[in-house]
Amino acid sequence: MTRSRNKRRARTIAYVLLALIATAVAFPIYWMIVTALKTYPEIYRYPITYYPHRITFEHFATIEKMGLFSHFVNSIVVSGGTMVLSLAIGSFPAYAFSRYRFRGRGVLLGSALLFQMFPMAVLLLPIFITLRNIGLLDTHLGLILAYVPFTTPITIVFLRSFFISVPKSLEEAALIDGCTLPQALRRVILPVTLPGICAVGIYTFLFSWSELMYSMSILVSNDVQNLPAFLSVFVGQYQTRWGPLFAGSIVSMAPPLIMFILLQRYFIAGLTSGSVKG
Amino acid sequence: MVVPYVAVIVVLIAALLSSNAVTSFTARDGTLTLEHYRDTLGDDVFPTILKNTVTWTCLSAFGQIFLGLVIALLLNTITAGQSLLRTVIIILPWGTLDIVAGVMWKWMYNDLYGVINDVLQHGGIIDDPIAWLADPGMAMAAVVIANVWKGFVLAAMFFLARLRGIPEYLFEVAEIDGAGTIGRFFHVTLPQLRSVLLTTTLLVLVWTINYFPLIFIMTGGGPANGTETLVTYVYKLSFRFLEYGRAAALSNVLFLIILAVTAIFMVVINREEAE
Repeated sequence: MTRSRNKRRARTIAYVLLALIATAVAFPIYWMIVTALKTYPEIYRYPITYYPHRITFEHFATIEKMGLFSHFVNSIVVSGGTMVLSLAIGSFPAYAFSRYRFRGRGVLLGSALLFQMFPMAVLLLPIFITLRNIGLLDTHLGLILAYVPFTTPITIVFLRSFFISVPKSLEEAALIDGCTLPQALRRVILPVTLPGICAVGIYTFLFSWSELMYSMSILVSNDVQNLPAFLSVFVGQYQTRWGPLFAGSIVSMAPPLIMFILLQRYFIAGLTSGSVKG
Repeated sequence: MVVPYVAVIVVLIAALLSSNAVTSFTARDGTLTLEHYRDTLGDDVFPTILKNTVTWTCLSAFGQIFLGLVIALLLNTITAGQSLLRTVIIILPWGTLDIVAGVMWKWMYNDLYGVINDVLQHGGIIDDPIAWLADPGMAMAAVVIANVWKGFVLAAMFFLARLRGIPEYLFEVAEIDGAGTIGRFFHVTLPQLRSVLLTTTLLVLVWTINYFPLIFIMTGGGPANGTETLVTYVYKLSFRFLEYGRAAALSNVLFLIILAVTAIFMVVINREEAE
């Protein structure tokens, strides 16, 4: 009796606390959306208003005129390129690490993950100088090549755990039935691990979608800038134009939020299993 | 496929690190020199930057791990509505772009039109608006709070995953032995979380030392270097002052610090696992 009553009381307290935390966590996002929908006089009104008394979409129009769409496309090019390249490079070592036992596997796996241990800030300058020397500064390809070493390790860790979860007997059966190894991989392993591969791909996509330090250092010209680099230009200005800045921020947040909400199960499982259990 | 990949990675790392080393030891006239290290470490602002980095990292990591633990424990207590609450609490900060988080908080901290001062004034906590980002101490508090908001997600997820894996019978045994809610927490939950707590602390520490966007956007390292950390200063040296030699030297110092932190934790983690 007391046990179930205690449990119920604990649950009620948990709900109340979680509701409070959820409100506090969501508030900054709410505040940004509200600000983006206010007219300028209302943004700078005192006392401040907690919801827009007159809703306007003028800031969205302003930021669109400043080329938001083309920066959005640049972001897709950079993030898509990073995703495809990391998957293409990472899936083969990941498969080998999951299937074969060979000498020095631990050392090799450790070295494959080297970049994950190197802070991006430490390598910013050498990567910047290298890209300048080979003439890839201020290009999408340059930024993609700068990202790939950092995204491939996590790709390998994730994919390896997904491959391990597929029983080896599955492809052995396909081999016995007369498939070659590439056929077995394509027809049997790929369909089973596709959700995992998608989740990893989107993870790298979102990493490059959000990354700021490298993108604003490497992409300087307006016509190649992706969303973070483009938005960072606003911050440097003497008078920040909050309206268009927040309108652009909201648009740039839409893809990651949608993907996270749809795929959160895969992310959480993949991230925690990959990093905690190694 | 493994060996070529690993070979490329190792060569790339070696090339980039040695490029950094060469840059840091080369004077403007091309001769070998230690002046970049001397200038950087002997710089008047270096002790401030080091102190700021420690403050920023420790406070942020503590806040993130504490909040992450609380949220994971609470989410683990409830059943209905868990996925909705998880979506709001975990996905919103995680899905927010770094730069967006920075500008959002910067606007909320605005001294005249910022919502934080308004809420605090209405709640009777403060009488006059605080100039959050204009005072070095307050600015540090402000960026740490924003960072806790942005970063507790990682800790919360790791803890939640581990909590789900604790077998139910451990709690039942503890209860039969007469442990109350608090006793169960300290004798079952906490010991079970030990190893994941260590790993998470390491990841959060390293991640926070290197985390650059919030400070860069919200304060740019100011006011009066009050929020300047090693990473923001490396960035400034490289791209504002174009002092590549000193930037490379400071990068190497940063690298050694991170290596030391990681090594200490690895020793502790390995000892834990051996037990």
